[in-house]
Amino acid sequence: MPDLQAAPILSVKNLRKSFSGKTVVDDVSFDVYPGEIVALVGENGAGKSTTKNMLCGLLQPSSGEIFVAGAPVTQIKGLEHGISAVHQELSLFQSLSVAENMCITDLPGAKANVDWKQADRVAQEQLDFLGIEIDTKASVESLGAGKQQVVEIAKALLHADKLLILDEPTTSLTAPEREKLFVIMDRLREKGVAIIFISHFMDEVYRMSDKFIVLRDGKQVGNGYLKNVPRSKLEEMMVGRTIAESSIDIGIPTDVEAVRVQSLSSYDFHDVSFKVNKGEILGIAGLMGAGRTEVVESLFGIRKSEGEIYIHGQRVNKVSIAAMKKLGLCYVTEDRRGKGLFGIRPVKENISAADILRFVSRRIKGFGFRGESVEAQKIVKKMNVAIPHIDSQVNNLSGGNQQKVMLGRWLATQPNICILDEPTKGVDIGAKFDIHNMIAALAKSGVAVIIVSSDLPELLEVSHRITIMRTGHMVGEFQRDQFDSVKIISLAASSAFEQAH
Amino acid sequence: MDRFKQTFSSKKWLAIALATLALGIALSLVSTAFLTFSNIQSVLVQASVTAIMAVGMTFIILTGGIDISMGAILFFTSSLFAKIMVETGSYSMAFTAAIGCACLLGAVNGLLVVRFKIIPLITTLATYTMYRGMAIHLTGAQNIPVPREMGFLGNGKLMGIPVPILLLAIVFVLGLYLLNKTRFGLYVKAIGNSEQSARETNLPVNWVTILVYVIGGLTTGIAALILLARVGGLQSGIGIGIEFTVIAAVVLGGTKLSGGSGTIVGSVIGAVFLVLIDNGLNLLNASPYIYDIVKGVVLLAAVIIDKVSFERQAKHLLEQKALRIKSTSGVA
Repeated sequence: MPDLQAAPILSVKNLRKSFSGKTVVDDVSFDVYPGEIVALVGENGAGKSTTKNMLCGLLQPSSGEIFVAGAPVTQIKGLEHGISAVHQELSLFQSLSVAENMCITDLPGAKANVDWKQADRVAQEQLDFLGIEIDTKASVESLGAGKQQVVEIAKALLHADKLLILDEPTTSLTAPEREKLFVIMDRLREKGVAIIFISHFMDEVYRMSDKFIVLRDGKQVGNGYLKNVPRSKLEEMMVGRTIAESSIDIGIPTDVEAVRVQSLSSYDFHDVSFKVNKGEILGIAGLMGAGRTEVVESLFGIRKSEGEIYIHGQRVNKVSIAAMKKLGLCYVTEDRRGKGLFGIRPVKENISAADILRFVSRRIKGFGFRGESVEAQKIVKKMNVAIPHIDSQVNNLSGGNQQKVMLGRWLATQPNICILDEPTKGVDIGAKFDIHNMIAALAKSGVAVIIVSSDLPELLEVSHRITIMRTGHMVGEFQRDQFDSVKIISLAASSAFEQAH
Repeated sequence: MDRFKQTFSSKKWLAIALATLALGIALSLVSTAFLTFSNIQSVLVQASVTAIMAVGMTFIILTGGIDISMGAILFFTSSLFAKIMVETGSYSMAFTAAIGCACLLGAVNGLLVVRFKIIPLITTLATYTMYRGMAIHLTGAQNIPVPREMGFLGNGKLMGIPVPILLLAIVFVLGLYLLNKTRFGLYVKAIGNSEQSARETNLPVNWVTILVYVIGGLTTGIAALILLARVGGLQSGIGIGIEFTVIAAVVLGGTKLSGGSGTIVGSVIGAVFLVLIDNGLNLLNASPYIYDIVKGVVLLAAVIIDKVSFERQAKHLLEQKALRIKSTSGVA
């Protein structure tokens, strides 16, 4: 039980962080007492990561006050103040043993003669404290995701055991693994360790936490005791508005089928079916790791899958990127730097890349390019890309302009089915607006559009229909006139546990 | 069976040990000359040069690096040794200079890798060319004989054991100790797992990286003296290309080229295995021209087997994931 007699372990007031003049997080104020679990919730991009990084000492706040055990400090020093964080990407050394991983920063014995027995003992004691059985000599790579998570927590607590920050600890866990994690969290609570629990899953938040902090668009919009606040209220705080008021005209879809997917399955998803008509925009909502990208990549032939795919009513027997391109599909990846753009090549070449054969000069067979610059120039203008020259290196452009270049590349192929994965990830407001208008224009010209996005307001704004994926399944669908962001979030974020009850 | 599989995968050097044993048994069945004390001894002596260097190379590869300048370091170190011997006749000076210089050249590799963050393959390709050039410049590409007593290092015996084998044993034990008993050893493996995590954990990544290249240089220096003694004098181009045999030994021994996992035992057995192939082909009176072909095929086979088993594991994981997804109901 939280010990309210004691001074708060950590107390922050009006914490603010800005990067080069732009405020990312503002007005964060709360107290954490020993033995308390505080949920930090908010949509993607609400500022949770920045807040987390300030709380574990990776970032220095731009302004605001911090008190550790009642004493004012300017920046948190994790080790010194007993605050540690387990980040979403685990940082364990895979081929080393559990004990080696846990003790690596503070090995017992002499430098030239490490006392491995002692290291094993220290690790074992810590794991016993958490009440989990793991062989300290086993290599980390031989453990499942759940146990790796526990080792990471044990390692963090070894050096800083007052406040633990857990960032989305359950996303890669199975249901039983999750239960074990919760048992550990309860145990820590009993021992007086405080936890800041960052999670997308509302049922987990309600099950585990005493208090909550809600962030929206970088601002703290609510905090307090969870038991006084119903779930719908909390979700409303996160989303900010219940029904999207769209300002963009996305036209009316036809009733001619463009693409239909039937019982598509792979390693990452199971029995997925949907269809999209010409002129229709289908939004696919869901959390990270729900299998959305895997589904659309399978549709475009990047990944292997089983099931039936129909394009314009015709079954596609051999799904490959080449076949899909020929049928008029295009796919714009969410990872523009890693998978999309050729960073050190000029804009011109990045635009012509998907349709390069069109420009190969025929005068001397297969030699030289014609019309590439002219076409690129046209697209740059059409897409409203702000660049000095079409020979500029793509790496030097802003995120928004890079995204437009990538979209432009695929629109140059004149697709009739367009798959966009996170089309506005990391772009500024202006570019976002441009891209939304362009998507609407595409639909109005009769193109079928599929959008995968973690930005729910975006989907509410530009989709005719939203389907929701969760852990590899399609779990619900809404027509535009029934859009309800709270319901959608709650569908996407319920976990397997909740279904079982 | 599962238990057996587990030991087998966690101790990857067992594979090369078994292969070496199998090859040994096969050879002793084919030829009575194989399983004699003197033949076994000569196999080990032949393997000593590459095996000693393989110990150093294991440290480097464990951090995710590689050193292809080792042959050139060997060439330069022996040149320096021979040159000093000829000009001064002082053993102490020649030994100190040779070993010191080998460490220094290794340190230069390490410093370049750490300071400029160029991938080790390119860095050491450049220094390989440089060191080889320095050696030729130093000796004028001449062959220089070394004094006869020097032969003790290559062919002499101490307490009935050939000196190269003794030296290998010392390097082997020190290497084992360094890798398994010290902080440094753990840091080496950690860096190979993820340099970024190692930096975030505040490990002395730069120092450790420089040090593994120094160890590579040191083992090469020791190997250079043995080789020089065995050959009886400096021959121009001595040691050039040996790094690929060394890398082959390390890879056969189960060390991952991407770093993070591997053993010194495996690398040393790998070196012995490669000599056994030579030895076997020799006993079989095979044409000397096919030796390299056979060794190349063996190396390729080892890498392919490793890759296939890795892919099978990855596929198994994916199938488990698919099952998990299938088992959670999709109904809201």
